[in-house]
Amino acid sequence: MNMSGCFIQLCRVIILMNNQELIDLYNQAVYDTDRDAALEVIHGALKAGKTPEEIVFEIIIPALDQTVKMIENDDSMCLAQHFMTSQIASEVVDEMLPLFKTETEHRGTVVIGSAFGDLHSLGKRIVAGCLRANMIEVFDLGVNVPAERFIDEAILHHAEVIAVSSMMMHTARGDRGALGIRKILEERSLSQIRLVVGGAPFRFNPELYKIVQADAWAPDGVSASRVIWELIKEVRG
Amino acid sequence: MNMTGLERLAAALTGQPADRVPVFCNLFDQGFKELRKKPQEYYANGELVAEAQLQMRQRFGYDNVWSLFYVGKEAELLGCKDILYASDGPPNVADFVLKSEADIHALQIPDRLEELPAFGETRKCLEILKREVGGTQPVCAYITATMALPALLMGMERWMELLFWGPKAARDELLEKCHQFFVREVQAYRAGGADLLVYSNPFGSVDTVPMRFFRNTALPWIERDIQAVGTAGVVYYCGMARFNPVLDLVIERTGIGVYYLSPLDDLRQGKALINGRGLTCGVINDIALIDWSPAETRAEVSRMMAVGKPGGKFLFGTGVMPLSIPEANIQAMLDAAYELGMYSADE
Repeated sequence: MNMSGCFIQLCRVIILMNNQELIDLYNQAVYDTDRDAALEVIHGALKAGKTPEEIVFEIIIPALDQTVKMIENDDSMCLAQHFMTSQIASEVVDEMLPLFKTETEHRGTVVIGSAFGDLHSLGKRIVAGCLRANMIEVFDLGVNVPAERFIDEAILHHAEVIAVSSMMMHTARGDRGALGIRKILEERSLSQIRLVVGGAPFRFNPELYKIVQADAWAPDGVSASRVIWELIKEVRG
Repeated sequence: MNMTGLERLAAALTGQPADRVPVFCNLFDQGFKELRKKPQEYYANGELVAEAQLQMRQRFGYDNVWSLFYVGKEAELLGCKDILYASDGPPNVADFVLKSEADIHALQIPDRLEELPAFGETRKCLEILKREVGGTQPVCAYITATMALPALLMGMERWMELLFWGPKAARDELLEKCHQFFVREVQAYRAGGADLLVYSNPFGSVDTVPMRFFRNTALPWIERDIQAVGTAGVVYYCGMARFNPVLDLVIERTGIGVYYLSPLDDLRQGKALINGRGLTCGVINDIALIDWSPAETRAEVSRMMAVGKPGGKFLFGTGVMPLSIPEANIQAMLDAAYELGMYSADE
C-alpha cells in the first residue's frame, strides 16, 4: 500500500476512535520519536471531521497533560521524547490556530531565555514549545540573556512569568542569572511577576531553586509547562 | 602497602589487592584560579594547564591527572573560532561550525589531528603530564563519541532535529565524518600518552534517547566506535546521564572495561549489573556537594564506599566539579574517600 493508501486506511480507523484513543495513538507516535506518524494522526483526525479547535483542546492539550502525569509517575521518559512532545505539539497548534473560527485569547504570557553566560538552547525550546501548545504566549529572548533584559521584556509584554534556563552551574547560581533577576524584581517592586528556573543543575539538587530565589522549578521541559501554568493561574487569581 | 595512582587503578581493574579504592577528581575550571590567571590566558597555554593539574593533584593527593582543557576544544579542532570564556565557569562554544547542510558536506576531517595548531597546546600539556607523572598517575583524556560530536558542531537543538527528522543522507554523512574524527582523535591522544580515554556520549543513555532508538541507532554507532579503536583504556560515560538500564547491553556488545556511572544512577544496582565484568566508578553528586556540610559530605562518601568497596573493582570519582564548590568541601570529600576507601587486610 502506498503512503496515501496508508493515510486513507488510518482515517477510516480514526473516524471510529474516541478522543482518548486518539490521544493514545498520537502520544505513542510521539514517544516513539516518530514525527511523521504523530502528524498523520492529527491530519487523519482533521480529515475524519475534527475541528481545529477540537484538535487543540481535546487532543493536543490533553495529550500534553497526560504526558506530564506520566512523567510525574515514572521518570523513564527521555530528553528526545520531551523534545518530540514539545515540537510536534507546538507545530500542530501553529497549524491549527489560523483555522480557528474565532480568535482565541492566550491563557497567559511568559518570557523565556537562557541565563546570562549560557549558550544552551534546547531546554528552553522544549518549554516554549509546550507552553505555546498550551495556548500560552511565549517571548523567547534567546541565549545569554542579561538579567535586566528579562525584566524589561516581562514588563513590556505584561508577562506573568519569567522562565530562566541554565545548563551550567555558574549560570544557574551566578549573580547574573536568576539571583540577578530576583534582585531587580525586588528593587523595582515587581513581586507580581513569578520566576521559574530549570536545567541540568537543578536536577542534581532539587533544593537549588530556593538558593537562587526562584518561585519554582521543573525537572524537565514538559513538566515546566505545567509548573508555569500553575504560576500564571496564581498571578491571575 | 604504599601504591601509586596507576597501581591502584591497575589493581581495581583486575580485582587485585590494593591499599585503597582509587580516587579520581576532575578539577578543570579550578585551574586558572589555582595559577591566578585569566581564563583566556590559562586555556591558551598547555604548559599552564599541565602545571595547574600537577599542582592540584600534588596538593589534594588524588589518583589521576587530566589533559582536558574544556569540552569545546574538540570543536576548535574542526574550525570553531569563537569560545565564550567565563570567570566563574567553563568556556563554551559560542559559534557553531555547522550552520547549514552545505557545511556538513564541506566539513573536512584532518588526517593527523596531532599536527594541527589547535592540538598543539593539548600535545604540550600531555607531554608535560607524561614527563612529570607518567608511570605513576593515570593521564586522562576526554573524547566525545561519534553520535554526540554533532552537538558541539551545530548545537544540541539542531542536532536533535537532524537526527530525528532531518534528511537521512545529511545525518549519515555527518555521523561518518564524526566517526572519522573520533578515531583520529583517539589515535592522537594515545600517541600523546593518554592512559584513559573517557568516551563521552549522552546518546549512550536512555535519559537522552528512547530504548528502541538506543538499540537500533545509538548502540550500533557505539559498537563501531569501539571496534575501530579497541577497548584499551576506554571509559564509558554518558555526560552525567544515567545508564544502568543499558549497562548489560553495552558490556555484552562492546566489552568496554570501565563504567563511569551518573550520580543519579543507583550505584548498588550498577555494581550488581557490572558484576565483576568491569570497573564500577561511583560518582558523587558534586552539584549537591557545593552546599553540603563536611558531615553530609562524609556521610555520602561513606554510603558510596559501603556499596562500592566490597568485592573490589571499584573507583570513586567526581562529575563536573563546578568552580563554586568550596575548597573545604573538596578536601572533606577527598579526606573521607581516602580514609573510608582503605581496604583492610581481609578485604
